[in-house]
Amino acid sequence: MKRSIGTRTEISSPTAPAITVKNLHKSFRLPTEQSFGLKQTIFNRLRGIKGYKEQKVLKGLDFEIKQGEFLGIVGRNGSGKSTLLKILAGIYYPEKGEITINGNLVPFIELGVGFNPELTGRENVYMNGALLGFSNAEMDKMYDDIWKFAELEPFQDQKLKNYSSGMQVRLAFSIAIRARGDILLLDEVLAVGDAAFQQKCNDYFKELKKHHQTVILVTHSMEDVKRFCTRAILLESGKIIEEGDPHKVANAYTKMLLS
Amino acid sequence: MKIPRVLNRKNRILLKELTKTDFKLRYQGSVLGYLWALLRPLMMFAILYIVFSKLLRIGNDIPHYPVYLLCGTTLWSFFTECTSQGIQAIIVRGDLLRKISFPKYIVVVSSQLTALINLGINLIVVVVFALINGVAPSWSWFLVIPAVLELYLLSLGIAFLLGSINVKYRDITSIWDVLVQALFYAVPIIYPISMVAGTSALAAKIILLNPIAQAIQDIRFNLITPETITTWNYINNPFIVIIPILFVLIILIAGAITFRKKSKFFAEEV
Repeated sequence: MKRSIGTRTEISSPTAPAITVKNLHKSFRLPTEQSFGLKQTIFNRLRGIKGYKEQKVLKGLDFEIKQGEFLGIVGRNGSGKSTLLKILAGIYYPEKGEITINGNLVPFIELGVGFNPELTGRENVYMNGALLGFSNAEMDKMYDDIWKFAELEPFQDQKLKNYSSGMQVRLAFSIAIRARGDILLLDEVLAVGDAAFQQKCNDYFKELKKHHQTVILVTHSMEDVKRFCTRAILLESGKIIEEGDPHKVANAYTKMLLS
Repeated sequence: MKIPRVLNRKNRILLKELTKTDFKLRYQGSVLGYLWALLRPLMMFAILYIVFSKLLRIGNDIPHYPVYLLCGTTLWSFFTECTSQGIQAIIVRGDLLRKISFPKYIVVVSSQLTALINLGINLIVVVVFALINGVAPSWSWFLVIPAVLELYLLSLGIAFLLGSINVKYRDITSIWDVLVQALFYAVPIIYPISMVAGTSALAAKIILLNPIAQAIQDIRFNLITPETITTWNYINNPFIVIIPILFVLIILIAGAITFRKKSKFFAEEV
């Protein structure tokens, strides 16, 4: 029953690579035949059934991200992209291998984490800000800008449940782009919204690239990979099958989908 | 092993925000709002007072019995609220745990801080009632603080221990609900301990070894009347007397160790 655990170390060095990943493995235990609950677990133990199935998601990844790189991670659904991102973000534990994170990493697995429909827009902004590591004083300073950028100023004191989903995304995005970290992790979060919103996202990416911000972007858009990334990785069933020039990787991905 | 910076700046902000939301959401949509934090225990007290003191005529030999009873029910409500919220916290905040990385104990502590705030408000009511009832203010009132802290640490230990098991085996919630019901009668809240002591001194001693009973009796002793029977003045053996404190420490340490070990997989399992 005991699970082995790999290491995830955080360091702070001006010269070291932003992220180093060595021999990273991860598997999940998927419960089989309703093994939830105490009763089933005891039954399963007595009958010698494990009650779960081991699903290998990442099978030995090795890569490095240099400071200032804009790395794209692409791959089909279920190839392990999101799992990799969650391990980098420290949400999941690596099962085997070593991860070294150099500097402060800000993950966006989803926009508007902690948003609660029963709270007002104002309260949600502070909550979300706290999750991104902003203090109240810092939030006070950028508060007006957030609403102006989201173009939602009249709705500040409305409960979030009265916002349309588009409005919620706009608000969340408007907070998110103010987060500053040495490394930004973005998981397809920006692939939503209308054309005007997409334009704002593109501007944001351009800005990040211009300032040599270290970014890891998980995406299905080969357009974005070619336009913004300085390097890319193609994942397929838990392994890196192509790595390097974004155009080369994007083409390999497209070819893989067509074959 | 790296020692985590227990409350760095980011974690402090998060703890504050989560507690604030918890508190706001609790009474959202109710006309009386926060007032319910006060009304609920007062109503429970009114029911118990009518049934036990007036109808069954229990506790007439204890000075200031109504306040004595209110004090007990207030502390009991705190204990049940604190433990059940704490045990549920990981599941309630599961959505957050799956999307962002932060020390998991924060959600447990924040859910319990709400209970602690409620207790603070309610203890003020107890003090007001005590003064109306003719209890003289005393320096010993400050001794209530360590006893409340003990009760809180016990709840924290229970929440860590059962909460981390509850992530995988949700049965814990139901088991704890029943256990709390049973515990209510094992702690001298509605009946005075002197009633048990009258029939069996041994039974009274066993009851007083329960840390919840010990803490509640200590608080009554210091806040309301020194005529209260406590673990310290009823049990003479110095080795037996420390059992309640020892118990709290063991639960807290076992809880912290279990939680630390299991919390690595909360995001996957919740």
